[in-house]
Order: sequence, then structure tokens, then C-alpha cells
Amino acid sequence: MANQRNDEPLLIWPKKYNEVPKAVFEMEELWPKELNAIFYGEEWHPIVHHAEIPNPGDYKAAELGEMPIFAVHGEDGEIRVFQNTCTHRGTALITECSGNKKEFECPYHRWLFSPQGELVGCPNSQEFTADFDKKDFSLHQLRSEEFCGLHWVTMSDKTPPLKDYLGESFYEPLGRILGGDGRLKLIGYQKIMYNCNWKAYCDNDGYHAPLLHKAFALLNWQGGKGFQKVTENGHLAFESEIKVPDKVEALKDASVLDFKGTDTSSGSIVLMSFPLTVFSKHMDMLNVRYAFPRGPKGTEVHYAYFTHEDDDDEMIRHRIRQSSNLLGPCGLVSMEDASVFSRIDKGNKTPGNAIFQKGVEDEYKLSFTVKQNDESGNLPRWEHYRKIMGFEREK
Amino acid sequence: MSKISAEIIQKIEQLNRDYICALDALDMPTWLACFNKRGQYTFIAEENYRRNLPIAFMLDDCYERLQDRVTQVVDIQSDSTEHYQTRHFTQLTSVTAPEDGGYRAEFNFSVYYTRRDTNQTQLLCVGRYFDLIDISNACASYIDRKVVTDTNVLPRYIAYPV
Ligand code: FES
Ligand SMILES: [Fe+2]
Repeated sequence: MANQRNDEPLLIWPKKYNEVPKAVFEMEELWPKELNAIFYGEEWHPIVHHAEIPNPGDYKAAELGEMPIFAVHGEDGEIRVFQNTCTHRGTALITECSGNKKEFECPYHRWLFSPQGELVGCPNSQEFTADFDKKDFSLHQLRSEEFCGLHWVTMSDKTPPLKDYLGESFYEPLGRILGGDGRLKLIGYQKIMYNCNWKAYCDNDGYHAPLLHKAFALLNWQGGKGFQKVTENGHLAFESEIKVPDKVEALKDASVLDFKGTDTSSGSIVLMSFPLTVFSKHMDMLNVRYAFPRGPKGTEVHYAYFTHEDDDDEMIRHRIRQSSNLLGPCGLVSMEDASVFSRIDKGNKTPGNAIFQKGVEDEYKLSFTVKQNDESGNLPRWEHYRKIMGFEREK
Repeated sequence: MSKISAEIIQKIEQLNRDYICALDALDMPTWLACFNKRGQYTFIAEENYRRNLPIAFMLDDCYERLQDRVTQVVDIQSDSTEHYQTRHFTQLTSVTAPEDGGYRAEFNFSVYYTRRDTNQTQLLCVGRYFDLIDISNACASYIDRKVVTDTNVLPRYIAYPV
């Protein structure tokens, strides 16, 4: 088999803006490049909400690309995110996905770190190099920013400030998903591996919802008024009215579908930040979906659900019932999404391009005007991906 | 387990057999019949269970929800699910004397699934059943079956109860 020539591009992008090469979901060679250009590049990635680690010493492990990291609630009340590696010879410090520790000890040579990341102890240091100074061996901290209690990280100094990066059309509804003021309480996780490339996972669109999701018709959910907003760097925001039917014939206990919030006109908010995080407030569910590509094949998604600190017992109970039954990987309304992810993965092992139609007016021009149920809202995201990956369009 | 009569244990085992055979046959009405009118079903990750976080993968906290679970599997999701064949393996690990009007039982379980497209078999999840069982009538029934899965990250979406 001939080796690929060095000067040969991995992929040529189609001329038309509404076409995406199917190979983009399948080529394993793209992954190392995506790591550098996207996951270690100029993008922000949400890692943890304050409500997940509310007490000093609480920590949560995660990954950024292939790099293990962890977030810790410091004794000083600050949340910091560190690389999960001892600054001596690199042993991983955290081996559980969450917990609470007063200090972080590396078992290998017993170097000891505070929850603020400082090196506070290292045995036999009188025999270290002459200029050894503990201060130079603090844990490697990632650049981070917080919004409504949600902490984001980036590997680049050049990434714009978080709010500029997200844009108002995104961070304003995000604030509402995060309870308006970020005063949330964690009520649990649903974790699952989707059998698809991470780009198939986040290519879910505004067109499919009433068509794929059988529950929509069955539950008599009429498409309420709504809109979709896209940003140039690939973030998407959907907002729509919830019309709760008076009676749901299909279910014996329709209380799980109740809307107890106050404003039906924005009863459903779904946001997708580039590269692959989904946030939603659908009816009374407050949900952040942290997503982790497992290399080029497989996307692990951690659905985190919250209540608001001001909720009464009835509202808490309702949010728990709704969150456990409707939108997750086994949910009444959403399970079909999971099915499509793996079917996209299978079907795209064929030649040619995936072609977007709904909402596309001019195939040769990128448009940022999209309607609620258009799939064209995904195209700015693909264009952003193409550019940062450096793929040329076909002449 | 010594104080529990063989007859009681036999009824608990029989109920569990009915339950897992119904699921492997995807016979949802028979699955539903394993519960009594006070019945509840929860399928929850061990991580949440251990940390007292109430979110579950499936949470059917009344008989009507159990009926709706049947509707969901049979009517709502049947045309878009990639169906799979399960085999449930269980082992009774404990039975304790009556409280709350029922017997407490625990089983270890593992569930394998075989995909219909590749025909390959993989492990779906492993964990424990925590049961509260009513044995006041001729046949036993669940007041509560809590399925706690050690497999905190599911290897695929789960379309049917476990
Ligand atoms: S590698 Fe951590 S103390 Fe040596
Ligand atoms: Fe969907």
C-alpha cells in the first residue's frame, strides 16, 4: 500500500456550503489534528459547575481532548482546574471521577499538593538540585473563566475572553439554563457512550425534532413559536415556546410532562457550544451535557442535572422525575437521537457527501439567518471546523 | 438467610425468573405483571445511588408510570430503536425478614446483549437488584425493584428495562 504523500491534504472540502464529506466522520487520521486545532486550540470547554463540587476539597476529574484534568474547590473558595499529573515525574494524582480531599498526595514519592495546587511537601528535598524551589512545582493550572457558576477552560492564551467567545445570543440564554444566577444544586448524572464520532454527536439539527421523535406527536406537542441563532464560530442557540396539551391520551401519568415554570414562551432552550457541548432547559429540566470524544470512535456524554437552590420540595421532586424520564439516553422523548448517532456512524462509511437541505437558500453562500426548524444552522459550525482544520474547498 | 423458609425463597426466585424471562422475551405485559399496584421501578447508576443523587436512567415511581413504561417500549420507540436481544443472569445474594409488609431481597445481575446487525454479544451492564417483595398472596410481586448498575457509563442507550 502506498503511503500518503506528505503534501497531499487529508481531505478536500466540497464546493457547496451545504455539503459535508462523509469521510469527516470516519477518517481516524483527523483525530490528532483535531486535538491540536480544536481541543488544545483557541476554544473554551466547560468542565464543572460549582454545584458539582460545592465544598472545599471537592474535586471532579475530566478530560480535555486526551489530557486528564481535574477541577478542585480550594480552601479559599476558588475553583481551579489542573492537569491530572504530579509535577515530579508525572504520576496521575486523581484516580476517581469525583471525591473530596484535604490534600492531594502522589503515592510514588509522596509529594503533597494543597487543593490550591501548591506543592507543600516533598521528602528528601535537601538532596534535590541546588536551585530547587517548591514554588516552581505547583500543579499545572489551566486558564479558566466562570459564567453563572460554570467553569470553562482553554489551552490557549489567545482564546478571546469567554463572553466574547460565546457572544450574547449564546450566553444570555445560557444564564437562564443555569438558573439565572448560577445558584444550582446537582441532582445527578446519566452517563453513556455513544457509538459515533464526536462530530456526528453534535450534528443534531433543528429539522429532525418533530419528525424523528415520535413522542412529539403522541404527546400532542404542537410546534410552538421559536427561533434559532448561530454565531460565526459555530455556537447554536434554539429557543421555543412550550405548548403543554390539556390532556395526553397516550400516557396514564402525564404529570411527568407538566410545566411548572413560569414562562411558556421560552419553555425550551437548547444550546450547543463549539465543539460539542449541549445545554438545555426543556420544560423544568436544567441540564448540561459534558461530552468527551474517546478518540475518533465513540463519544462519552455525561448528562448533569440540576435543581435551583430556591426550589420547593414539590419542584425538586418534579425536576427529578422529569429529568430521569424524558431527555436522557433512555428518555421517552430523546432516545431516538441515540439511535440516529450510531446509524449515522454506520451509514457514513459510504462515499460522497452528507447534504443539508432544510433552510438552505444558496448552496454557494453561508447564511446566518436560520429558522427554528432549519438544519442549515449547523453549516456555520462546519465552516468553522473546516477553517480551523485548514481544509481547502474544491475549486 | 437461615430464618427464611425455603418456600419464601422459592417464591422470590420464581418472581425473579418471571421478571428476567419476560425481559429477555421482550414481553412487556408480563414484566408489568411482576409488579403490584403499589409497584415502583428504578434503574439508577451506582455513582448516583452511592452519592445520594436521585437522578435515574428510568424512574417509575407509581403503577401508572410502569404502565407508561410499557407504552414507551411497545408503541413509542419501537420503530426507531436498534433492537437487541438481552440475556439476564442473576444470583440471589440475600433475603431478609419482613419489614414494611414485604421481604427484602438482593440479587447480583449481569446483562449481555446481542446486536441484530453484527450479531455480536457484549456486556450491557452489571449490578445489583434491591427488592421489596409482597408475598401475602399466592404469588409474589414487587412493591419495589431498584436496579443499581455498577456500569456507570452505559455502553449504549438502553431501550428496555433491565
Ligand atoms: S511522581 Fe509524584 S512524587 Fe514522584
Ligand atoms: Fe433530537
